[in-house]
Amino acid sequence: MQDAAAAKHDAQEFEPKVVAFLCKWCSSAGSDLAGVSRLKYPANAVPIQVMCSGSVSPIYILSAFNKGADGVLVSGCHPGDCHYLKGNYYARRRIFLVQKLLQFIGVEPDRFRMSWVSAAEGVKYAEVITDFVNDLKALGPQTKLKAKR
Amino acid sequence: MIPVEDIRARAKDLLQSGKVRAVLGYRRSTAGLLAEPAFMTTADETAALVLDPTCVGNLALYLVNEKKRMKHARQSDKRPLGIVAKGCDSRAITVLLQENHIRRDEVIVLGVSCETGGMIDTRKLNKALRGKGATSAHFEGEGGVRVSYVGGGTILPGKDVLADRCLECAKSYPLDADFFFGEKVDERPYGPRFAAVSAIAEKGSEERSAFWDAHFERCIRCYACRAVCPMCYCDECVVDSTNFIVGPTTSADEKADRVRWINRSATPSENAMYHMVRAMHLAGRCIDCGECERVCPVNIPLRLLNTMLEREALEMFQYTPGIDAEQPSLISSFRDGDPNDFVR
Ligand code: SF4
Ligand code: SF4
Repeated sequence: MQDAAAAKHDAQEFEPKVVAFLCKWCSSAGSDLAGVSRLKYPANAVPIQVMCSGSVSPIYILSAFNKGADGVLVSGCHPGDCHYLKGNYYARRRIFLVQKLLQFIGVEPDRFRMSWVSAAEGVKYAEVITDFVNDLKALGPQTKLKAKR
Repeated sequence: MIPVEDIRARAKDLLQSGKVRAVLGYRRSTAGLLAEPAFMTTADETAALVLDPTCVGNLALYLVNEKKRMKHARQSDKRPLGIVAKGCDSRAITVLLQENHIRRDEVIVLGVSCETGGMIDTRKLNKALRGKGATSAHFEGEGGVRVSYVGGGTILPGKDVLADRCLECAKSYPLDADFFFGEKVDERPYGPRFAAVSAIAEKGSEERSAFWDAHFERCIRCYACRAVCPMCYCDECVVDSTNFIVGPTTSADEKADRVRWINRSATPSENAMYHMVRAMHLAGRCIDCGECERVCPVNIPLRLLNTMLEREALEMFQYTPGIDAEQPSLISSFRDGDPNDFVR
């Protein structure tokens, strides 16, 4: 009986929405690998394939929050492995600033993160998403940038 | 002291010799204490040129506006424009040069040093004078600012009446000027740099969140902050769908297909979005002239957002905007040693 109640409670648990910007050459392939390896990880992330982490404009990130994301992930190739050689270095600098800015206006640091996931790191991708979703569950819904409709 | 006579003489000379088509400077305004920007096109007009702590505006804005105007002008005078520039104004000019928005030979910079002074903040001044309306303000060197009002006058210490940006100013003189007036003073008798932003950054996340929520909620999206910014020179602004360019050949589909990233309604979330986007677009470009904060009709401390990123740029990337027109911009450059720990 108690188990059933707990299970029911679990079912109603807050399910965060994650928007994941994944670069085509590494992180997207990494997420595919996680899929074909049948790794188990939360299904909360909506992947958006971009050509390079360097092509993720800050407005994409902000817009994702605005349209209702509870967390946003930007993921690219490891430094030195960018398909376009330098894209992820530009991304790293830009994302660093976006992160600082979001924190400055009081968005919890755990809502926005960046990761390096290579095409071979299906396991890492699953881990990144699992950790992210767990952290977001603890935080609850994001309201600051979300448009009311 | 800043020798106004010298500046007037130089401006007059430039106009008389026909080297410039106009000199951009300040003159007394008919409305209130603050000096107003002036386009002086004849030598006689330069007699009205002033320079005192009421010359708060950033004249670099008019270089941008003038460029827009010239694009549509029927005939254009190709001679350069003279411009009176304080330290901060000249940094703005340097950023415009860095971004190839203007060319160096399009301007003749009459650089003025603020020395140990700076520009007044009228809100602080009104408070200090307890309601007595100031009629003039002058530099008094180390002593502060000499203010007169109807029926009296007083000398107020700089730290009480100068704008925050001036208290935190790291270089109170232009680095790139064709003519230079005043002394280069590197030791300024005021508080540390980034004092205002550090005070907010030290607060807890929740307190900061509430602080900004309260401010963003009050924003009426008048876009005065954008209009006064010399760096906001885009013809189409991504935050504002009404200024997307529509020509006679723009089809209804094209209009409908424009991405409206941000809603124009002045709701807290959209306001926060607007300010985030604007802050990002100014990262590594804002030279902290403080104009956005000054013109905001509802007193939103906008300077904090920009200086916060300026501080990060300095501390993490050793980047200072507006000191070198040749340096690659903050966002379009990187180093191998950039912070990496935050990435998973
Ligand atoms: S910020 Fe610096 S250069 Fe600009 S007006 Fe103030 S003291 Fe002068
Ligand atoms: S000037 Fe103030 S009220 Fe107007 S848009 Fe800017 S922040 Fe909002």
